[in-house]
Amino acid sequence: MATFELYRRSTIGMCLTETLDEMVSNGILSPELAIQVLVQFDKSMTEALESQVKSKVSIKGHLHTYRFCDNVWTFILQDAHFKSDECQETVSRVKIVACDSKLLTQ
Amino acid sequence: MASSTTSNVYIHVIEDVINKVREEFINNGGPGESVLTELQGLWEMKMMQAGAILGPIERSSAPKATPGVTPVHDLNVPYEGTEEYETPTADMLFPPTPLQTPMPTPLPGMAQTPLPGNAQTPLPGTAQTPLPGTADSSLYNIPTGGTPITPNEYSSVNDSGGAPEVKPGPGRPSPYMQPPSPWLNQRPPLDVNVAYVEGREEGERGASHQPMTQDFFMMSAGKRKRDEFASQYPNGGYIPQQDGAGDTISNELKVGQGSNTQHNTTIAGAEMSLQGGRAVSRISQLDGPIPDPYDDVLSTPNIYNYQGVVNEDYNIVNTPAPNDIQAATPAAVTQNDTVDDDEDEPLNEDDDDELDDVDQGEDLNTTHLVLAQFDKVTRTKSRWKCTLKDGIMRINNKDILFNKATGEFEF
Repeated sequence: MATFELYRRSTIGMCLTETLDEMVSNGILSPELAIQVLVQFDKSMTEALESQVKSKVSIKGHLHTYRFCDNVWTFILQDAHFKSDECQETVSRVKIVACDSKLLTQ
Repeated sequence: MASSTTSNVYIHVIEDVINKVREEFINNGGPGESVLTELQGLWEMKMMQAGAILGPIERSSAPKATPGVTPVHDLNVPYEGTEEYETPTADMLFPPTPLQTPMPTPLPGMAQTPLPGNAQTPLPGTAQTPLPGTADSSLYNIPTGGTPITPNEYSSVNDSGGAPEVKPGPGRPSPYMQPPSPWLNQRPPLDVNVAYVEGREEGERGASHQPMTQDFFMMSAGKRKRDEFASQYPNGGYIPQQDGAGDTISNELKVGQGSNTQHNTTIAGAEMSLQGGRAVSRISQLDGPIPDPYDDVLSTPNIYNYQGVVNEDYNIVNTPAPNDIQAATPAAVTQNDTVDDDEDEPLNEDDDDELDDVDQGEDLNTTHLVLAQFDKVTRTKSRWKCTLKDGIMRINNKDILFNKATGEFEF
């Protein structure tokens, strides 16, 4: 199954990465095993998002920068409004990084 | 802060990952399940610190304990937040060993040395409960040292029984609590991933920059000449120009042609020949002032390329792939039209600065981030629409997950 490493930059991914790094640098864990854990995280996170998350969000804002490189879209929005069932947020600047969903289904 | 659903999904992911890598940890000479447990504990603790998990580690550890029957899972039971600090074990410990309790309680430090056997047993229980944070690595040693002594007391107290369960139990929280601060401070975090990400970014930048500089070199070197060739010169004329020595020959030919056409053919023919003659003369003049060896090498391949003939000569002059050079040709033409190279450079510099600022902001975690997959991205004039799915957003220190998202942006 193909996976993105995209989600490693999320909070949960960064926490895992830091943990693995500490354990590797302390000699508790081998780097190879740490990478295996990260790959498993890629899979588990992707699956969880597909199967467990149902919410929908709408995003509006001023597009400051757009970039499409290596099948990855990057948007930098200014004065962005996020609206979902649960909450409504406004931020002065937000970055959106999106991989091509078709790459996973191939 | 995170919504409860986000927190639940995160907990599920943690458990899923831990369960699925368990085999790797146990088999094939892996570090063992205790290391896996430590990994999970550290991970969950960081998530709580980040506010991504709303303290429902009780939930996470409860299902954690159920799937496996191995004693290692029990280590997580005392790790559960509130229970740990209430630590009934300390109070429970006193009744079974009434004689020993007075000794260690008033003098926890002293008790270790004089009475290794008896005093140590209550120590781990009593001393650790009030001072979980202050306990240092010595705690690691004490519990293990006391293990053979304690079984009687602990087994009597706890239903599940077994010294190894309880012992590492109180010992556990300290490794969970301690590491983050000293380790995080001592070592720059993220050996694996930072290097990985940075390397990738540098690679991208490097890849984008290299061809750029090389393209510019190409433009300055041979572009203008090539342009003149393109506009003014018919196919046959360029061959003698390349050969430096042939310039004189071309002049002779030109003269001969001119004389013939003027006398014998129409005015149009004469004009054609005149144009050709002018072009030849101009080209020969251009070639003249520029140092011969340098000019030969640089100008020749350009002409070849323009004519669509083999690109081989490019490899002599420039290592990059022929594609880059061909792609650069149109850009070079436009630049030569505007003439002012100075106008372009500052524009590019400004762009870079803006992007750099943005990137730096990210490093400081000041920016909000959305990670997702895109289904479709469309644009109509300055209006962008995109549909995203399976995303993680970190906005205003809140983690929000979404299954679908629609974006409408004005550029």
